Amino acid sequence: MSQPATVTTPAPRAGSSAALSVRGLTKRYADGTLALEDLDLDIPAGSFFGLLGPNGAGKTTLIGAVCNLIRMTSGEITVFGQPGNGMAARRMIGIAEQEPNLDKFLTVFETLLYHGGYYGMGGREAAERAEQMIDAFDLRAKRDVEAPKLSGGMRRRLLLARALLHRPRLVILDEPTAGVDLELRHELWQYIRALHAQGTTILLTTHYLEEAEALCDEIALISDGRIVARDTSEGLKLAHGVNSLEEVYLRTVAGGRAAMTEREVNGSESSGSDPEQSS
Amino acid sequence: MNPLPPVDVEPHPWRGLAWLTRRECHRVLKLWKQTILAPVISSLLFIIVFGLSLGNSIAEVNGFEYQIFIVPGLIAMAMAQSAYSNNSSTIFQARNDRYLDDILSAPMSAWQVHLGYLAGGAMRALIIGVVLAGLALPLTGAPLERPLELVLAVVLTIAGFGALGIIVGIYAQSWDNQSFINNIVILPLIFLGGVFYSVSRLGSPWEQISHLNPLFYVVEAIRFGFLGSADVSPWLSLGVVGAITFALLAWAQILFSSGYRLKP
Repeated sequence: MSQPATVTTPAPRAGSSAALSVRGLTKRYADGTLALEDLDLDIPAGSFFGLLGPNGAGKTTLIGAVCNLIRMTSGEITVFGQPGNGMAARRMIGIAEQEPNLDKFLTVFETLLYHGGYYGMGGREAAERAEQMIDAFDLRAKRDVEAPKLSGGMRRRLLLARALLHRPRLVILDEPTAGVDLELRHELWQYIRALHAQGTTILLTTHYLEEAEALCDEIALISDGRIVARDTSEGLKLAHGVNSLEEVYLRTVAGGRAAMTEREVNGSESSGSDPEQSS
Repeated sequence: MNPLPPVDVEPHPWRGLAWLTRRECHRVLKLWKQTILAPVISSLLFIIVFGLSLGNSIAEVNGFEYQIFIVPGLIAMAMAQSAYSNNSSTIFQARNDRYLDDILSAPMSAWQVHLGYLAGGAMRALIIGVVLAGLALPLTGAPLERPLELVLAVVLTIAGFGALGIIVGIYAQSWDNQSFINNIVILPLIFLGGVFYSVSRLGSPWEQISHLNPLFYVVEAIRFGFLGSADVSPWLSLGVVGAITFALLAWAQILFSSGYRLKP
């Protein structure tokens, strides 16, 4: 494994040690859906941060706002102290989106090469990095294969390789292991852990609670466009007096409906009890 | 898998534009049978069928043999359609498959993204124009009288139709939307703009009505560049084409700057 290189970054604003700082972020879509409501979030530099929530909670919208892929209704975003919509901030972010959105006209090598170019790399530098990432993600045999001809697992690898190609300081992984087999999932975990150990800040969204628990040193739970809980995995369990992250999730994120479902199940199992009064 | 450490990339604001331009040209060349060969063949067929075959039975038009008269308009039509269809399809595809996100999240300004996408259509249209001129001029004996005016007319035409392609590609909700604009708007207006005939021969009121067709000025501007004469003043043609091009470029730039329909 290669040693971390010297990191030269734009000077952060005074008092800012956050990799990502979000203030009062609101996003209302054209159809009136309020995806994020006055959301505040600080992710410390160097942390491995998990963002958990059900579908439609606002995770992807938040990521989209950070990565200039969504028009914010209001709010402010800074990345390592730099304005989120500026070029300096964009250079410091790498994103692997949930859906494999790969350029269908490009091979694996070209996908990485052009991505490096978009992020300001010269031809030789981008080509060298592309070859490094091809080896790092075991894509050598598919180097000259076009993206649509890759398997699901290979596409996932390529997405991650692309996100990391320009050596971002903040890596955003939107459900990176969704739909991948167990072997690849553990391979990716290993890689992401090592990347984090080298100083990269990681923001991970996932539906796999055990994944968040195993990887993240801090977890935020998002529901209806708001952060409803945030702590370490142990801290969350302690605060809610439960033994698993799943229970924390059900009590906070899934809210009343999940709790009601749970009560109903418990109620049907215990004879003669009134489900409405069981809690 | 071995991780590689984070290092900030030095800012090179022009590199993103250069790579996006290269990507767009790469796409054009990769699909060369569809993007270049097909329009060249269809335009050559027009020249051979209408010009060389039927030309002998048609009297001179504005002092030129018919096969010579139609060459500039056919080249204009091929270039305009290529610039339009290239940009509308590349933008729509990038939006539809969401790989546009890789461009939008990159450290490139809105105008750089705009210019990068314009470049692909411009290159495709230029290749088609040069190949067609290289084949048609010796074949028909058409002259190249006013090269400077021709270059100006070609640049404005390519930029204008390229910008129109971008706008349609951004607004389009299906592939049908793009072909609708091409087949129902651009193609008929170009045909009615005097590619195959001189508008001055139509007589009133059709001649005056033809002057309301903006694509008439595109054909006339390019015809003046080749033949050195046209139905209207070349400066009027260039002025109208320039004004339309400026408006379309401004519209496309507003779309990129605001992110309208590119970003939810």
